[in-house]
Amino acid sequence: MRLNRLTIYGFGKFHDRTFHLTKGFNALLGPNEAGKSTLTQFISAILFGFPTKKHPALRYEPLDGSRFGGEIAFTLSGTDYLVSRVDGPRGGKVTLRNTTLDLTLPAATLAQLLAPVDAQLFAHVYAINEPQLGTVFAASKQELIDRLRHVGAVGSDFWLRQAQLLENSAEDLYKPQGRKPTLNQLLQEHQVLTDKLNKANTSYTTYWELRQRQQHLQAQQTDLQRQLAVHRQIANQYDQQLALWPVYQQWVTLGDATDRPVSGFQQNDAAALERLTNQVTATVATLKDDQDQLATLQEQAQLPPLFQDYLLVTAQVDPLIAQLPEMTIAAREQYRLQTEQADFQRRASSIEQQYAQGGQMPRVFSLATTQRVHELTSNLTLATQKRRRLQQQLNQLNEQYRQQQPTRQQRQNPLADKQIGWLAAGLVVLVGSMFLPATIFKLAGAMLGVAVGYYGVFIVDSSTPASRQQQSLAEDIRDVQAQLREGSHEINQLTSQLDDIGDAHGLGEIPVVQWAAAQEAIVEWDRLTQRIEAADAQLTTATTALTDFKTAVQRALPAVTTDFPALTAQLQELQATRQRLQAQESDVTASAVRLKRDQVAVDQAQHAVTTFLQTRNLRSTDAFYQQYQQIREQGNRASQRTALAQQIGKQPLAALQQVTSHEALAQQTTTAAGQVVTLQHQLDTATAQLATTAGQLAHLTASGTQATLRQRLANLETQMQDVTQAWLVDRLVSQWIAATLAAASGDRLPQIVKMASQFYGKLTENRYTEIELTPATLRVRRMDGDWRSVSQLSRGTAEQLDLAVKLAFAVVMAQQVAMPVVIDDGFVNFDAQRREAAYRLLASISADIQVILFTADTTVADGLTTENLIRLTD
Amino acid sequence: MKFIHAADLHLDSPFLGLRQLPNSLLTQVRNATFDAATVVFDRALAEHVDFVLLAGDLFDRAEQSVAAQAYLFQQFERLNTAKIPVLVSFGNHDYLADQHQTVAYPENVTVFGAKVETKTLTLASGETVAISGFSYPQRWVPTDQTVAFPTHAATDWHIGMLHGAVSAGPDDHYAPFTVAELLAKRYDYWALGHIHQRQRLQEQPPIIYAGNTQGRSVTEAGDRGAYLVTSEQGELVPQFFSTAAILWETPSLKMTGTTLQDLSRQLSDWLVAHPAERPTLTAFTVKLSQALDDEDRAQVATGDWLSLWQRTQARVMRAANRYVTAIKFEAKPVAISAPQLDQQYWDQGATDVFNPVNLQDLFGKLAQEPALAAWFTREQTASDLETAARQQLADLMGKEDDHAS
Repeated sequence: MRLNRLTIYGFGKFHDRTFHLTKGFNALLGPNEAGKSTLTQFISAILFGFPTKKHPALRYEPLDGSRFGGEIAFTLSGTDYLVSRVDGPRGGKVTLRNTTLDLTLPAATLAQLLAPVDAQLFAHVYAINEPQLGTVFAASKQELIDRLRHVGAVGSDFWLRQAQLLENSAEDLYKPQGRKPTLNQLLQEHQVLTDKLNKANTSYTTYWELRQRQQHLQAQQTDLQRQLAVHRQIANQYDQQLALWPVYQQWVTLGDATDRPVSGFQQNDAAALERLTNQVTATVATLKDDQDQLATLQEQAQLPPLFQDYLLVTAQVDPLIAQLPEMTIAAREQYRLQTEQADFQRRASSIEQQYAQGGQMPRVFSLATTQRVHELTSNLTLATQKRRRLQQQLNQLNEQYRQQQPTRQQRQNPLADKQIGWLAAGLVVLVGSMFLPATIFKLAGAMLGVAVGYYGVFIVDSSTPASRQQQSLAEDIRDVQAQLREGSHEINQLTSQLDDIGDAHGLGEIPVVQWAAAQEAIVEWDRLTQRIEAADAQLTTATTALTDFKTAVQRALPAVTTDFPALTAQLQELQATRQRLQAQESDVTASAVRLKRDQVAVDQAQHAVTTFLQTRNLRSTDAFYQQYQQIREQGNRASQRTALAQQIGKQPLAALQQVTSHEALAQQTTTAAGQVVTLQHQLDTATAQLATTAGQLAHLTASGTQATLRQRLANLETQMQDVTQAWLVDRLVSQWIAATLAAASGDRLPQIVKMASQFYGKLTENRYTEIELTPATLRVRRMDGDWRSVSQLSRGTAEQLDLAVKLAFAVVMAQQVAMPVVIDDGFVNFDAQRREAAYRLLASISADIQVILFTADTTVADGLTTENLIRLTD
Repeated sequence: MKFIHAADLHLDSPFLGLRQLPNSLLTQVRNATFDAATVVFDRALAEHVDFVLLAGDLFDRAEQSVAAQAYLFQQFERLNTAKIPVLVSFGNHDYLADQHQTVAYPENVTVFGAKVETKTLTLASGETVAISGFSYPQRWVPTDQTVAFPTHAATDWHIGMLHGAVSAGPDDHYAPFTVAELLAKRYDYWALGHIHQRQRLQEQPPIIYAGNTQGRSVTEAGDRGAYLVTSEQGELVPQFFSTAAILWETPSLKMTGTTLQDLSRQLSDWLVAHPAERPTLTAFTVKLSQALDDEDRAQVATGDWLSLWQRTQARVMRAANRYVTAIKFEAKPVAISAPQLDQQYWDQGATDVFNPVNLQDLFGKLAQEPALAAWFTREQTASDLETAARQQLADLMGKEDDHAS
């Protein structure tokens, strides 16, 4: 490609300028500030686009405000084009025309036409200036290769773009340091899932632990169950023993009684006794029969039952009967004594009743006292009689007096009244005399009464009242009354004397008239008392005799009465009966004999029984049976004991026998029960734990977390692999493209290096002969054969090297890209000699490639044959 | 005599190569290895077999699966109840070392030790069977173990259990053996494990890989199961029975249309026409008659199209009892030819790029990710990558052609 014309509308300092360029070497000469760099930038801008407004310094917008832009006419592959660019979006508005065919082409075609050269490549390779030469070596071989690759093949831009796209796509998929790309995210997710799975995998350990625990617990459970069974059995045994304890106690109690060995009370003994008692019973029965028979006989003979009894005990009773008369007398005597005694007693009691004062009998008078009392009494009697006589006289006189004076009574019935009064008085005296103690008094009293009565009826009847008489009568009365008073006094004296005596002898209460009688009674009482005692003694003797007799009789004949007269009568009857019977028939006798014999048999049998009992130290059959019963009971007990033992069972019994007490047993039972409870509790715990473990296991097993996570991981890994594959494929294709491009351009690299070596030799006047590409960088060989690395070169020499390489690149690549080389004052660091060499080289390559040199060095024009020299200052 | 020979249960191991699954299917997938193994044990109980041989890789020890252990305990207990002995030789995945297993399996289970042992059983019929085998002590058993196996014992039958691979070279890790060595033992049956694809190395006496009971990736397509072996006239006759709960299938389709819409229809038509008996994970390979356009290709490349298709065709897939896990597009082998770059440069570039060193270099830090490293080191991967890259480059060339023209 070659540039034919540059037309500047407005760019930097230029406006409306046109530069015509030739095919070969063009030198644009101008001093500093003439616009050399502006023109270099103009070419780049028109061909590749204005820099963005972010970099205004690079845009070179016209200072004078003229139209920004310009146009370049160029020839490419024999076709002429005109490209113009003015300010516009995305690098400016481009107009492209194929001037050969006069066709307007789409703006995009420009880049295709210029490819593979773009702004970057142009700047790096074709636009050579001093700063560029200074920095190029940083890139070294790779830079070179990249550039080679860049221009390595026709159409490589497409591939390079594709490679870039693939790289971008790959970066979207994965970046080793990234976070956002798909695979990075997947990897993070994978890590998270893996962590989760690892966490979930801990359940595996847990699982085995649980399994082990389960196994352990199962073993424990089995063991506990076994233990529990054992202890349950033990507890049951204890419970059983406890339940059996009362039975056992019974058993023990029974056992205590059975230890006494007893003989003679066995079944056969009982049988023997039975036999004996039966014998007794039999003999008794026989006896009874005979008795009945006898009774029958006796009934016929009217024998009283008592006699039958008697018949049995005649031996005993007969002597008693013999004693009977004697006893009868004794009894009679006894009766008499009793009667007498009772009589005495009664009499004594009567006397006591009459005379005893406070239970004390009065004492007997002495003889003198008796005489004195007698005397006093006689005197008293006389006095009394006298008084009475006087009284009578008085009464008579009074009567006479009254009669002398008729009264109302007289009128009414004086006679009757008088008679009745006398009769009543006589009766009173008569009756009152009856109460007198002695018979004499009674008689006297009675006669007096009769006399009074008589007087009343007969004498009074005959009296006749007289008035004169009344006077004498009154005198008589007064006289009698005086006599009466005298007599009363005497009586009082006598009575007082008698009272003294009575008081001294305890007879205070008894009237004196009765004293004689009382004395007699007291003597009588003494006598009676003595006789009662005597009778008592006699009675005791008689009674004892009788009682003895009765007892004897009753012992022999229990049926007899206790009443002695009846007894006597019975006995007498017995005797009589016996005597009667003796005189009677022999049947009864025979019966009696038989009875006797029976009696003997009975006695014998009873004796046998007695013997039987005595040998066993017993009193009665009842005792035997009692004992027998006891022994029987013992037997029963023994069997009961056996039964109890059976009920308890052999082992429990043995176990129970080991037990010291109920409390101990209860204690053991409680302990055993406690142990069972403990074991049960342990078992429950174990079972619960097992259930928990099983639950945990089930939970672990059923959770499915592991499987789910694993499947998710597997799926994720699939995804990751797919993404990785995509990434790898992208990268591989990208690499492949790069490698292919490298291969395509790889042929040229040696050419470039070879040509660069030539150029370098020319530039350095053969001081350096060879350039070599090392893996990392370039090195150069000096004329003397030494190798120098780039860093060892002087700046000028290094810039020469760079120029050589770039020119070589441009020349070699001209086959594909005939891009003009634009040198913007690149040789400022070169000395004149080097500069000349450079010009020479440029001139020589301009045959193949258009060279546009901007320089301030005026020697160019002198030293070089150029077809075209343009002075910018023009 | 009757017994079951199963191997490679790989209990509770995940299915590989799936991106996402509907939840219903996910549950089935999760249970698939268990369900498949259950078929084996159910069969053992139903047939009243004399014993069960499990020739290794019952589970993946590295995965520390609780569910797998719990399941084995449960199933072994079932067999124990039925008094069916189980003989286990652990393989490279469930090797003996690093055992957390503190609780032994039920008493009916015999686990072979690290050295070859022989267990003799007396069957109900009175027949005697000697069974020789060993368990992997660690992940690799690089040496030939057949030497340690005794020759036919004085029993009625002698069976060998071996988890390993036919010797292929010096890099054998899995108890290498040769068929000739096995035949030399004069056993009546060799119950092999390790290779997931069932195969019969010898007709009589049978030397058999039972294969795994449940396919777990698209590479394990086809029916999976175990062998019920019955004695018939002095010979042991194996009979395959299917156990897989979920099948994998890789049908190929030739794309008749040109657009993805056409393909979608074609796929659903295919599903309607091919309903599956068991849940079947279906991975299509679609042969393109011509390249997809850019847009379609981008949709396919991102996986968006497939997930959209899976969503929209869920009903059809359910009806067919299939789930389309992947659709792989296969274009005609492409010639790399760019008009503006010589073929030789592309070839040269390819040699620079598609070499292990460069691949490894490119893979770089990702090698530290075990999951990716495992995938990357697979033999298949490199060629897959190259194929994919070629495909992609070919696509790009098409574009360049367009561009150039």
